[in-house]
Amino acid sequence: MDGSVRLEEVVMRFGDFTAIDKTSLTIGSGEFFSFLGPSGCGKTTLLNMVSGFLTPSEGQVLIGGEPMAGVPVNRRPTAMIFQNLALFPLMTVFDNIEFGLEVRGVDRRTRRATAERLLALVALEGSGPKRIDELSGGQKQRVAIARALAVEPRVLLLDEPLSALDLKLRQHMRSELKAIQRKTGITFIYITHDQGEALTMSDRVAVMSAGRLQQVADPVTLYRQPATGFVAAFVGENNRIEARVIERLGERVRLDAGALGELEGRVGEEAGLGVGVEVALYLRPEQLRPVAADAGGMTLPARVESVSFEGAWLMVAARLEGSGEVLRMQLGSEVSRRFADALAPGEAITLGFDPAETVVLPRDDGPRVDAETGEVVEASDEHR
Amino acid sequence: MSIARQLAARFGGPLTAAILALLGIWLILMVTLPQLQMIDYSLRPNLLPDQRGGPEDGWTLANYATLFANDIHRAIFLKTLWSSVLVTLLTLGVSYPLAWYLAKVATPRQAALCLLLLIIPFWINEILRTYSWFILLAFRGPLNELLMMLGLIDRPIRFLSGDAGVMVGMVYAYILFMVFPVYNAIESLDDNQVRAARDLGAGTLRTHRRIVIPHAKPGIATGCIMTFMLAAGSYAVPALLGSPGSRWFTQIIYNWFFEGGNWNQGAAYAFLLLVLCIGFMSLVMKVFKVGLGDIAK
Amino acid sequence: MSSQRLLGWGLRFYVVVFFGYLFLPLAIMAAATFNDSRFPTVTPWDGTTLRWFGELAEDGAMWQALANSALVAVGVLLLAVPIGIATALFLNTVSSRAKPFLYALILSPLLTPGVIIGISTLIFWRQWGVGGGIFLTVVGQATFIAAYVMLMVTARLQRFDRTLERAALDLGATPWQAFRRILLPFLKPAILSAGVIAFLQSFENYNTTLFVVGYDTTLTVYIASKVRTGLTPAVNALGLILILVTVLLAAAYEFKRRREAARLVKGV
Repeated sequence: MDGSVRLEEVVMRFGDFTAIDKTSLTIGSGEFFSFLGPSGCGKTTLLNMVSGFLTPSEGQVLIGGEPMAGVPVNRRPTAMIFQNLALFPLMTVFDNIEFGLEVRGVDRRTRRATAERLLALVALEGSGPKRIDELSGGQKQRVAIARALAVEPRVLLLDEPLSALDLKLRQHMRSELKAIQRKTGITFIYITHDQGEALTMSDRVAVMSAGRLQQVADPVTLYRQPATGFVAAFVGENNRIEARVIERLGERVRLDAGALGELEGRVGEEAGLGVGVEVALYLRPEQLRPVAADAGGMTLPARVESVSFEGAWLMVAARLEGSGEVLRMQLGSEVSRRFADALAPGEAITLGFDPAETVVLPRDDGPRVDAETGEVVEASDEHR
Repeated sequence: MSIARQLAARFGGPLTAAILALLGIWLILMVTLPQLQMIDYSLRPNLLPDQRGGPEDGWTLANYATLFANDIHRAIFLKTLWSSVLVTLLTLGVSYPLAWYLAKVATPRQAALCLLLLIIPFWINEILRTYSWFILLAFRGPLNELLMMLGLIDRPIRFLSGDAGVMVGMVYAYILFMVFPVYNAIESLDDNQVRAARDLGAGTLRTHRRIVIPHAKPGIATGCIMTFMLAAGSYAVPALLGSPGSRWFTQIIYNWFFEGGNWNQGAAYAFLLLVLCIGFMSLVMKVFKVGLGDIAK
Repeated sequence: MSSQRLLGWGLRFYVVVFFGYLFLPLAIMAAATFNDSRFPTVTPWDGTTLRWFGELAEDGAMWQALANSALVAVGVLLLAVPIGIATALFLNTVSSRAKPFLYALILSPLLTPGVIIGISTLIFWRQWGVGGGIFLTVVGQATFIAAYVMLMVTARLQRFDRTLERAALDLGATPWQAFRRILLPFLKPAILSAGVIAFLQSFENYNTTLFVVGYDTTLTVYIASKVRTGLTPAVNALGLILILVTVLLAAAYEFKRRREAARLVKGV
């Protein structure tokens, strides 16, 4: 059973608006693959092209190597878990799960056996005769999964299915979804704007913005080696310092950061980092450390702006002496205890970092993430 | 995307065909063509079968000229218009306080009970509702008896010989078409707006004039349009409660068809009645600045 | 402040008077049924009797009219309900520049006087040699009753979550299966209500019927003709029975509707 999905140069236009710009991608059979991006980035459009609710304006979709052009929704080997679950409210749990088999003409006894087996898989034994409105949020979620699995899809499409649940349950369902995916070996394509969900569950993640794939990689690579400024800003938190390349030193580059003096960083994108190029240096808050003022290596003199207690860690905002920019620094409890004296607003502090933990990327004019609010800001419309 | 494609994408081919067929039968064969045919009829002279297609068979405005030439018919037409306006205003006046009470004064339980009580006569036949007034207003009926007993009159009044009886019957027959739209409109007004107006020192009259009535405009417009249309187009009420001296325009139309045997003339009069209703509707929609979408609610 | 209260009491008094106005005529009509008088009245009271029910039962023309009314109402049900449903589905699905025009056309039968619908139907069918009678009555009544059905079905359709349909398709259902198994059951309560309303509207119609009924007689036409010629309290007896039946039907309908509404609220 080949559950691979291939997108070949697909384009989706609605009138003048290009929702998906020429995109090619292969998702392996049995992979847990996520599309991550802010709302309106086109991820749901992509999902709808795979499920068959939308027909691409250009290019084609292949599932298991077979072109899907002209194959209607109800004949595709996919099943979808909808954002609002879309359980049939007038039917029982059994009827919901058996629906896909019923419309295929499967006989009653086989249907019921399948439903019982799937209810066991999602740990809902005995709930078959219940009405949908008798179920809790988490139980509804499980019924939706069982209903989709009943038609034995090669690809399961999940459209932000956890967004309606509260935080605790959401985290629990993550591991459960992952376990079901392992057990069944079905390809999962998961849509979300929640990076936590994408990073914890997926084998690979595609970050999307404004109708384009920004980067496709496994979660660790995505976090450590973002390929674009958008990914660097959207996945996790990042401080950003603008600079210009002075010199290439193999894996590293020496940068002129203006008032901040010379800094070093690790090359993120091989191409386009020639001498003189305008770049951005990305520093993760957890990679910044308070250091002694005369310590060697990379240091940035600053003044503490605010300190907020976040439970397991402290978040320190510090204003750089040189440029006046504010950087955020995340400190574990151990470090923060050691530097307790220096961590009062107004105190001078020196921030240090290891160039190997940074990323230097060419400055692009693509969409950015506003550091304060986390919202996506479209820098230019050319990418639409 | 074409209409058929949109439907087919949702319902599939056979169901789409059925939907379009039913819609077509209704809108073309039942709604549009009969109206056009009526207009066509109204523009042709009343001819014997063997004269049809002959030299006299052509379009003419003669049937419309009849109304303006016939003093009695013209008077009845104008009276129907005027009386229907009066019925509409009367009905609005009677309905508004009740709608206000139901929407904003009554407790939810009182309102629910009242609404149920209101719905019951609404379900009862227009003829029966009118007939009940026929009994009440009869020359030797209970109303005359009561008035005489109270000493207010010393001989019975002929209620059923003028327009007053007809109008009272119409207000009664069509009141619910006014109460419900007005009630629905007032009900959707935020209570706090009324409280705020009171709080700012507005009296009852001013609160209604400045806050409630502007908000209820679509409901009032709907009620007025429906009531006028029903009143102007009523046959039952004038036939039961009127007398030969207080004829309604619909009765003239009926006579052209089934007593005069001149369908062409009747069609012209019917079309004039339709124009009257459309004219009133357009006027109300313009004055109240509401669209067709508000009326359908 | 005291003027406010005075106004409040005035309003309550008005409401009581209003309901008196609403029900008193009906009560008098009902009471007149039992008066042993040749004319339908309560003054003077000539003694209590049930004979007018007996007289009514022996009136063959009445039974014929009742049968005709029932026949017409069933016909209207079969014609207007499918049309109304189809129109509601159409309006709910289609987006087109022609839609405002179509919508106006669809609503027009509700805003056209009933007599004109009757007249235009009569004229239109004459060219095919079809004269007034049961068939034309069905067609004429269905013309505007279909619009009522459309409004009722549309009201429910607007609350339908279309992802349910998508889910059904996604699970392998054909569009027909999705309609049959998902949308139709959802619409069922509205369709049943619309059916009841359509039946009653047809049964009670007079203005349209008058022009298209030809030499046949429906119950409403029969009552109206009785009032004008040969009036006896038997008409009241018939009216009373009709009122009781409608009130019972209305109460059952209201009860069902409220229970439905209560269940919906609970379900949320």
